[in-house]
Amino acid sequence: MIEFQQISKKWPDGTLALSDVNVSIPKGQFCVILGPSGAGKSTLLRTVNGLTQTTGGRINIDGTELTAATARTLRQRVAMIHQHFNLTLRMSVAANVLAGLLPVVSTGRAILGWFEPAHRAKACALLARVGLDPKHLLRRAGELSGGQQQRVGVARAFMLDPEVVLADEPVASLDPKISREILSLIRDAARERNATVLCSLHQVDLAREFGDRIVGMRDGKIVFDGTPAEFTDERMEALYQGAQWEDNAVAEAADLYNDALQPQLVAA
Amino acid sequence: MDIKPIPVPAQGTTLDWQLDQPYRAKHLLLLLLVLAVLLFTGHRTEMDKMVVMTGQAVGNLVGLADDSQVVRGLSRVGASMWPPAFGTEEEVARLTDLDRDQLPFLAKIETREKVEQHLNPDTLEMETSSEKVELLIKPLGYAWTVFIKMLETIEIAIWGTLFSVVLSIPLAWFAARNYTVNHFTYTLARGTISLLRSMPELIVALFLVLAYGFGPIAGVLALGLHAAGFLGKFYAEDIENADKKPQEALEAIGAGKLKTLWYGVMPQVVPQYIAYTLYILDRNVRMATVIGLVGAGGIGQELKGRFDMFQYDHVATILIAIFIVVFLLDQFSARLRAKLI
Ligand SMILES: Nc1ncnc2c1ncn2[C@@H]1O[C@H](COP(=O)(O)OP(=O)(O)OP(=O)(O)O)[C@@H](O)[C@H]1O
Ligand SMILES: [Mg+2]
Repeated sequence: MIEFQQISKKWPDGTLALSDVNVSIPKGQFCVILGPSGAGKSTLLRTVNGLTQTTGGRINIDGTELTAATARTLRQRVAMIHQHFNLTLRMSVAANVLAGLLPVVSTGRAILGWFEPAHRAKACALLARVGLDPKHLLRRAGELSGGQQQRVGVARAFMLDPEVVLADEPVASLDPKISREILSLIRDAARERNATVLCSLHQVDLAREFGDRIVGMRDGKIVFDGTPAEFTDERMEALYQGAQWEDNAVAEAADLYNDALQPQLVAA
Repeated sequence: MDIKPIPVPAQGTTLDWQLDQPYRAKHLLLLLLVLAVLLFTGHRTEMDKMVVMTGQAVGNLVGLADDSQVVRGLSRVGASMWPPAFGTEEEVARLTDLDRDQLPFLAKIETREKVEQHLNPDTLEMETSSEKVELLIKPLGYAWTVFIKMLETIEIAIWGTLFSVVLSIPLAWFAARNYTVNHFTYTLARGTISLLRSMPELIVALFLVLAYGFGPIAGVLALGLHAAGFLGKFYAEDIENADKKPQEALEAIGAGKLKTLWYGVMPQVVPQYIAYTLYILDRNVRMATVIGLVGAGGIGQELKGRFDMFQYDHVATILIAIFIVVFLLDQFSARLRAKLI
């Protein structure tokens, strides 16, 4: 469960990337964030693990408030999957996956590369789970294709059995078939652990297919929140074209509807 | 296929623009200024004299000029350098513990007539007397000495390199903006690096010889300190310029700085680090021969001694040795680099 309460983010240059974001994502939900470039999707995701510091509001993750004091331990419970995979390309696939355990492995062991048999077994199991042939285990990550690299990225993300998975455009640079496979992997692996997923996407069809819920963002605000079925083509047009929807009277009702997954428009 | 040519000029084209051109009044003025400065400094660095002397030398060689200082100097030295000295000769009488039945490897004893002139105090005339002396001749005696000294030089270079690597790793950590502890440690590390880099080995060695005495200690420290500045700077810059993406992935799960550095940065920078270190080793071998000139051990010290005694044939042997070592090292490091990167 992730609760954003009146989250705002103003960059030093004055850009208001998030303004008064109130949304809560129940445990185990696969929530997709849609919105045009610059809407604040990445910024919102990155506030969850503190990579971006908010300038206002509170974030609770499974009941723990994110503060400077709790950030370090919270991060171990929040995994992240990146658009550009973010692997260490000159390092082996195995080392990249095991790097997902670094927060809980002693510095000495990490530097010497001595991972316990249980840890190595888990890395192998996860690589098998994401469908990467064991023959790639000791190959350099940089030699893999984009799709294979993202499989490694997903395996790394699940090494610590996260409660929350943040995925920032995880399939932006992959072909449609591989994109579906990767998103299925993320969804299924998260389901097995009852982890909450917050995933930003640019492909509306994938959002409708995989999301339990779709949150539409624009100019740092949430302008749509509902089920894929409710995210009609007109809503989509409006989200990307920037048509202004009626009034902001609905704004007050936002919290009420949030958990019930009612479609609604927050002041655009 | 039917391809329509693009109409030239396209509609709305204007040609009232040009690329920047490098020959305007400003550039001409700058050129004149540079020329004036070069003329001035050229006179101060005796470049005019150099041209004259070199011209004379070339003229002398092709038979146009009858005298050239340069050619005279070079041929005098050149003549006394040939042949290079490989062996040693010692008077047997001075060798107290020589066992005639067990001479050293390749050594032999020769008897020679030694002619001496001296003044007779009674007649006040020069007299010539001759006596027989036995000499122990080692045909490769001096080559061996040079070999040992060269080995010492290489050892100095290796230890200097080791010293600089060990010193530069913490320096690089603190001098990398994204891994340093705070602004103070950053400034301190950068300051130290600048200081180390600004001190030429030769001058550092000069002072260290005063502190530690003649010998390799001063050499190792002088090479190590200077190279630590060089390596610290380059190691730190590589850390700063490393791809941020893997680092962000590890930061996002709270891996901690040291572990992030090890898993997110080191694999990226290690090949380059090896290249830098090999370059430093290469450079240190060459510099180790030079700093020996001020007494910091190794072949340079031997070279300086022989040079000061005008034993140019010995100098020739040393130069040959230096050339061979630098050549071999070049081959070795090129091969290692190709293998590692
Ligand atoms: N480090 C930063 N400094 C200043 N402004 C930033 C920074 N990062 C993002 N922004 C601004 O914040 C706003 C939101 O950016 P964000 O990256 O969250 O958008 P996004 O929805 O993820 O876009 P995209 O779909 O292109 O990834 C943009 O206006 C962007 O210019
Ligand atoms: Mg983004």
